Amino acid sequence: MSIIEVNNLQKEFMIAKRETGLVGALKSLVKREFVKKEAVKDISFSIEKGEMVGYIGPNGAGKSTTIKMLTGILVPSAGQVTVNGIVPYENRQENAKSIGVVFGQRTQLWWDLPTIESFELLKAIYRVTDQRYKENMSIFQEILGLDEFINTPVRQLSLGQRMRADIAASLLHDPPILFLDEPTIGLDVVAKEKMRTFIQEINKEKEVTVILTTHDMEDIEKLCQRMVLIDHGQKVYDGDILAVKERFGKMRTLVVDLEDANSSFHIKGGELCKQEGNRYWLRFNRNEVSASDLITQISQTHNIKDLTVEEPDIESIISRIYQEGFIEKQTVKG
Amino acid sequence: MTIAKYIKLYFKLVSAGIRAQLQYRFAFVMRIIGMITAYTGTAVTMWVMLYQFQTLGDWNFFEMLFLFALSILSWGFCIILFFHFRSLDTYILNGTFDRFLVRPLNPFFHFMAMKFDIASFGQFLFSIVVFVIVSFQLQLEWTLGKLLFLLGAIVGGVLIQGGLLVIISAFAFWTTKSEQFYWVAMFPARNLTYYPLAIYPKFIQWITAFVIPFGFVNYFPTTVILNKETPYFPDYMGYFSPLVGVLFFGLAYFIWMLGLSRYKSTGS
Repeated sequence: MSIIEVNNLQKEFMIAKRETGLVGALKSLVKREFVKKEAVKDISFSIEKGEMVGYIGPNGAGKSTTIKMLTGILVPSAGQVTVNGIVPYENRQENAKSIGVVFGQRTQLWWDLPTIESFELLKAIYRVTDQRYKENMSIFQEILGLDEFINTPVRQLSLGQRMRADIAASLLHDPPILFLDEPTIGLDVVAKEKMRTFIQEINKEKEVTVILTTHDMEDIEKLCQRMVLIDHGQKVYDGDILAVKERFGKMRTLVVDLEDANSSFHIKGGELCKQEGNRYWLRFNRNEVSASDLITQISQTHNIKDLTVEEPDIESIISRIYQEGFIEKQTVKG
Repeated sequence: MTIAKYIKLYFKLVSAGIRAQLQYRFAFVMRIIGMITAYTGTAVTMWVMLYQFQTLGDWNFFEMLFLFALSILSWGFCIILFFHFRSLDTYILNGTFDRFLVRPLNPFFHFMAMKFDIASFGQFLFSIVVFVIVSFQLQLEWTLGKLLFLLGAIVGGVLIQGGLLVIISAFAFWTTKSEQFYWVAMFPARNLTYYPLAIYPKFIQWITAFVIPFGFVNYFPTTVILNKETPYFPDYMGYFSPLVGVLFFGLAYFIWMLGLSRYKSTGS
């Protein structure tokens, strides 16, 4: 059996309808209307032990709702979930022992105390034996370099250090499954790169199954072989990351600001996909044409004021997948 | 997990909370000074008022001071153990409450053990000084039986007031904001305890005996210790304080857990 099984998972919320204006606000005090919102519509997937899976989608797609159901914080409206053989919402405390959770924006460490104290408290909470504690701490010190800031109060740590401490804290009790919610959010490029190496090493060292939600396409590309893409509470894609990259990763967008906002222009190899005033968006396949080639073409007939080349982000990949109908619901064998 | 292990863990978590609080020494000292000043102010107001009338109902100044001090003393313990339940709504709103749900512990226990507000030292100092003064003035004889009775009353008072804090916090599971309920319920209820219930209309006395049982926090126990009349009620009511406390707190815990299960199905 897979370590995580999700079948036809659904979650709907009743949300109070907010009326605009003072009159509306007063009206909703007396009589509130509720709107049903399906945060997760019908999601199924299974994850094998040791896999690293990117669980991605735009804001409000239902990512964190799914994670909350997997961690036992939320009870599903319908469908089945098992995590390590346990139904999380029925047996939340039991499930908590076999998962580690890192919410990138919220630390689980004791803010005002030296970092080491958080580890000692978590040791007591998860009832980690002295020996396991020692062994794990020495592994974390090696991989995550906790030594440099172990006696510094958490509130004085840099964001990168705090994330490292948070990941170590979530692994202290040797959970077979690790949920990482935006582990690189707000980090600078160097710290991001470091964080990715840590996650990779931990996955290798401890054979931890990792489920990663992120907005950063690079996180997924560097860490995961598989991604589950969801949008509007539904699975859009599930499978090999390479296939998506090959198909959409080669697309780039050239954004140019021209001095004269004139008419149409036709550039060989570039497809005009948007125009706002003097600004033009040109999509091109970087395997077929280079950016400098396009720029040369444009500059022959127009004066370029400014330009940038954009890599595809998750939002644009999702919209491409919708447009081009890349909805092969293939699942990695399991 | 066994009870013994929970108790051990409670002290571990609580001592971390105290160390965290002591990081902010200035705020800590200022709170203690502030509390003492505020309660002394209330006591002075009482004295000024009674200076004119000599008695309120058939309660003289020192008897009222005793009543007041008992209320402050159990409130002091209540602050230590439960005051942070007031900010449960903030935890829910900014999402930090979820942390309590991904740990292998009872969430009520875990939340309760997160803070231990020792700044209520001011309350203890105030109420103990007042007890000593009043004991001399009223020539109270403190037998072992009376001390045990007082202890029971304090336990009851802590559980009743803590219970109401817990119930108010649980509203956050339904409404996401619960701060306003504190001002609607806790504040008036506590203010009622500063004066003998006997001076209030029968209706209010009835509510504070049986609905929100704040009469058992200090009024009924004080009438037993000081041998005062209890209009509308039998004079042994004070003995029920610990029992009422346990029952009311049990109800509060039940409501809190009910709210939690609602939170788990709605998410906010």
